[in-house]
Amino acid sequence: MRFLLRTLSLSYVRRNVAKTLLTLLGVVVGVATFSAIRSAQGTLVKGIRSTVDRVAGKSQLQITMEGGVPEEVQERVRELPGIRATSPVIEQIVVPERGELGSLLVIGIDLLGDREMRDYGFDGDDADLDDPLLFLAQPDSAIFTRQFADKAGLKTGQTISLRLPAGVKRVAARGLLSPKGFSEAFGGNLMVVDVYAAQELFGRGRRFDRLDVRLSEGTSVAQGSATLEKALGPAFRVETPARRGEQMERIVANFVSGFNVSSGFALSIGTFLIFNAFNVAVNRRRRDIGTLRALGATPRQVQLLFLAEALLIGVVGAAVGCLAGTALSQGFLRMMGQTTETVYGVTSSGAVHLPPGIVLESMVLGILASLAGAWGPALSASRIPPTEALAKGAFQARLPGRVAPRIAAGLAAFGCAILLALNPPFGGNQLILSVLLLGGAGLVLLVGPLSRALLQIFIPLATRFAPVSGRLSSDALLGNPRRTSGTVMAMALSLTFVLGFAGYMGSTKATMTRWMDDALTCDLFVRASANFSRPDFLFPGALREELLQVPGVRAVESYRGVRPLYQGQQILVNSIQVGPTMDRTRFEFIQGDAESMRRGVIREGMCTVSENFYRRFNLGVGQQVELVTPGGVVRIPIAAVLRDYSSDKGTVLLDRTRFLELWKDDRVDIFDVSVVPGADVGQVRDAVRAKLAGKFPALVSTRQEFTAEIGKAIDAFYALTRITVFLALLVAFLGIVTSLLISVAERTREIGILKALGGLPSQIARSIVLEALALALTGLVLALPAGNLFALFMEGAIAEYFTGWQMPHHYPWEILAQLLIALPLISAFAAWIPARQAGRLEITRAIEYE
Amino acid sequence: MLQLHDVIKTYSGKSEVTALDGINLSIAAGEMVAIMGPSGSGKSTLLNLLGGLDVPTSGRVLVAGKDLAGESEKERSLFRRTSVSYIFQAYHLMPTLKVSQNVALPLHLAGVPANEINRRVAEVLREVGLEAREKHLPDELSGGERQRVAIARALVTGAALLLADEPTGNLDTARGEEILNLLRAIHRERGTTIVMVTHDHHAASACERLIKLRDGRVEGDSLRGGGDR
Repeated sequence: MRFLLRTLSLSYVRRNVAKTLLTLLGVVVGVATFSAIRSAQGTLVKGIRSTVDRVAGKSQLQITMEGGVPEEVQERVRELPGIRATSPVIEQIVVPERGELGSLLVIGIDLLGDREMRDYGFDGDDADLDDPLLFLAQPDSAIFTRQFADKAGLKTGQTISLRLPAGVKRVAARGLLSPKGFSEAFGGNLMVVDVYAAQELFGRGRRFDRLDVRLSEGTSVAQGSATLEKALGPAFRVETPARRGEQMERIVANFVSGFNVSSGFALSIGTFLIFNAFNVAVNRRRRDIGTLRALGATPRQVQLLFLAEALLIGVVGAAVGCLAGTALSQGFLRMMGQTTETVYGVTSSGAVHLPPGIVLESMVLGILASLAGAWGPALSASRIPPTEALAKGAFQARLPGRVAPRIAAGLAAFGCAILLALNPPFGGNQLILSVLLLGGAGLVLLVGPLSRALLQIFIPLATRFAPVSGRLSSDALLGNPRRTSGTVMAMALSLTFVLGFAGYMGSTKATMTRWMDDALTCDLFVRASANFSRPDFLFPGALREELLQVPGVRAVESYRGVRPLYQGQQILVNSIQVGPTMDRTRFEFIQGDAESMRRGVIREGMCTVSENFYRRFNLGVGQQVELVTPGGVVRIPIAAVLRDYSSDKGTVLLDRTRFLELWKDDRVDIFDVSVVPGADVGQVRDAVRAKLAGKFPALVSTRQEFTAEIGKAIDAFYALTRITVFLALLVAFLGIVTSLLISVAERTREIGILKALGGLPSQIARSIVLEALALALTGLVLALPAGNLFALFMEGAIAEYFTGWQMPHHYPWEILAQLLIALPLISAFAAWIPARQAGRLEITRAIEYE
Repeated sequence: MLQLHDVIKTYSGKSEVTALDGINLSIAAGEMVAIMGPSGSGKSTLLNLLGGLDVPTSGRVLVAGKDLAGESEKERSLFRRTSVSYIFQAYHLMPTLKVSQNVALPLHLAGVPANEINRRVAEVLREVGLEAREKHLPDELSGGERQRVAIARALVTGAALLLADEPTGNLDTARGEEILNLLRAIHRERGTTIVMVTHDHHAASACERLIKLRDGRVEGDSLRGGGDR
């Protein structure tokens, strides 16, 4: 085998460098995307956890509370038995004005009392902060890590501009931390400030994000935890740093796991490209195969030869793919990190390294993808009878088996997929995988007979349009059903993904937009933070009165959202002045009505729940929600069930008065401002900005601006769809190129004869372009119903499982229109290379070609 | 050595074609036989059956006592590797392999040790007079030289049966004569059984026995110098 590989295979590679590179590209693209996504995922998730661990220092327990831990709690905790030290912490991610430096994690700590908790390891001549009191006395003081300072070209005493909630602010480096332990958190992009300055900077009021607790010697974590829980009550969460890290990791892991679809898709593209390339190779080396067989090579030896080539391509492609993946991974990390920061308020920073585990996993998958792609062509090569392989004339692959059992099996698989999607016996990834595998298998089985039937419809049209070229392309397409159905299959599958994902994304966005139109009805939104889930700053409640004084302002409602745990899920508790909100908002009721809501929520202190909360926890009108509040556990009756898309885990809505009564925290996330009829919204917005300028960070947006911003956040969440669309178009391009290259190779003799008989190069080129268009059109026609079914599945079973949301179907007409424009262009462009090859064929050589 | 009993070979397609229609033949070890006939008479089909490249639709093909029709694809491959060798009109050399590598190919397939391969390749290249061309590619050789490479490749396994399909068909008279002389020498010196399909009466006259085929049937079977068998 080594001799054959060294001689026959290597010489084929030398003679077909471009094709070999194209084959390698398949594995490289697949492995690079896979390894980049996996390593970026890993770095992001581990980075978040590692940041939690490193920032935690020597603390054994951490106390948190929805809305922040009040300052006075520190004193109470300090006096409890078994507590050695406590330290308040505020954490906030900010962005330097020089965006290329990456996000910066700001840690607010009590510099005078925190040495019990963390080792700072100051860097410099005296290896400590020059003067802690001077540090505290100057409000712009900050400590940076040596790593970040080097990156930013920052020296002690110099300043750097940061984008803070209140605007761009310059902070001065008063000390540098050496790169070890604590300072390695967040990839070294760390800034330490005084906790009280952080309260001011980030609008925490007299609260901290958490209290870190170190236990006395002899006190176990379980004992400490029990003591704290007993003393503080259920509103406070007492966790080990490891558990808190795990929770954050889980939130982000759910999001980033969505990228697995894209990485799996990329690998399947690699497999498809290998399949096509090996089909070309088997076709071109048919005579060699015949000679080998005549000389006594067994079918197994022939198959092993091709598989050994695939193995080598897999090894080389996977190795190059891993290197390319390293380069790509930083970009993926940035994209994922930005989304998790916007959506979940957590992210990670730092350089991505490809860990050996992912390298191994990528290499193995790359090699397996290569072997899987080559398996079919290698098997068919081994099955070519030697007499046929040595025969002169065009080689036509046989029709794959009997058609009727294939159609029956395909329909059965498809039917099972639909049944499973309609009546899922299980959920989550298991359901997605089962439905995709069954549906995919059904499509693969049906695509051959269906594409043949479709081509028989298209071809008379093409022949009418271009009699000679149409006839030639039809002969080429129908004459080799295996090649044709292979290409159509790859295109149909990838376009199914595109239409399915786009349909799902479109439905989500259309549903959200419609809901926002109904729910977000005031004229201006005054926010302190751009972050939706973890605000950087909260307004004091009293600011409402000041806003009401602004000329042109008719009404102001104060919105506040908190995210307590409910049965292990982080639900959203919204609060607002429900009366005036109901006057201007159209709610869609699943249970109850406007009257029961008005009566129950405003007058009787009840709540409403969202449709997904109702489905997820099976709680509706007449039942009670058990909420953990700072004052303890409270049972709140449900007055109505509303359609609401503010949280994928479920939403509870309370009147502002009831919220204040339960949470005793009057801070506000957003002020909903309505202007007096006839007032200019723009002018009122400017007046509000002027009123808040210099006092509070304020993002004042009109309704259109606010909904556009939310739309952008939704788009960011579906970034993977864009990757999928790109990869699908890549499949279309490469699939058509390789398929047509085989076509030209198979028809070399025929093309030569046509040229000898006076066939014009333009006629031959046109036939190849027509072939490409027919392939693309057939793939698209097959993908239309399949993509629609896929979108329905995503919007139905999957969306309901993960979010509890029910969304009306929205067909992705825009994407279809884009594909109808892009596909013919891509097909024609892809046909250009084989058409040029056909045009350049020398008649004498082509006629001799066997 | 070779026995065919009631061999029928048909090819099915849009219409069924009978390539061989009840052939009965016997060729003894050490014979040199020419098979002649017009196009479509079934010559190449017969040769493919004798070499185990194809199987009959019905009947028995016995080569050295082994019925090839009953053998699996793998067993027929192993049979071709050890017991039979081929020469084709179009040479069927691997264009990317050097002369010595082409000759060595069947030995590599059989897993023969490298030093043994080198020895046997050198020996057969000497025998066909191509030792100076061992590093050349087929494209760098004349038609006659290419056919001699193909003969060397056929000889290197030491198979007792050599099947030649129009071995002089692509060659001019002088080169064709050289090849025929070489085949005669192989037959004489090695005692190899040679079955040669040809259109060329001159080539056929180099053989001891002539079998004529027409429409898939044996039309005549005679020895050189006259006399039917």
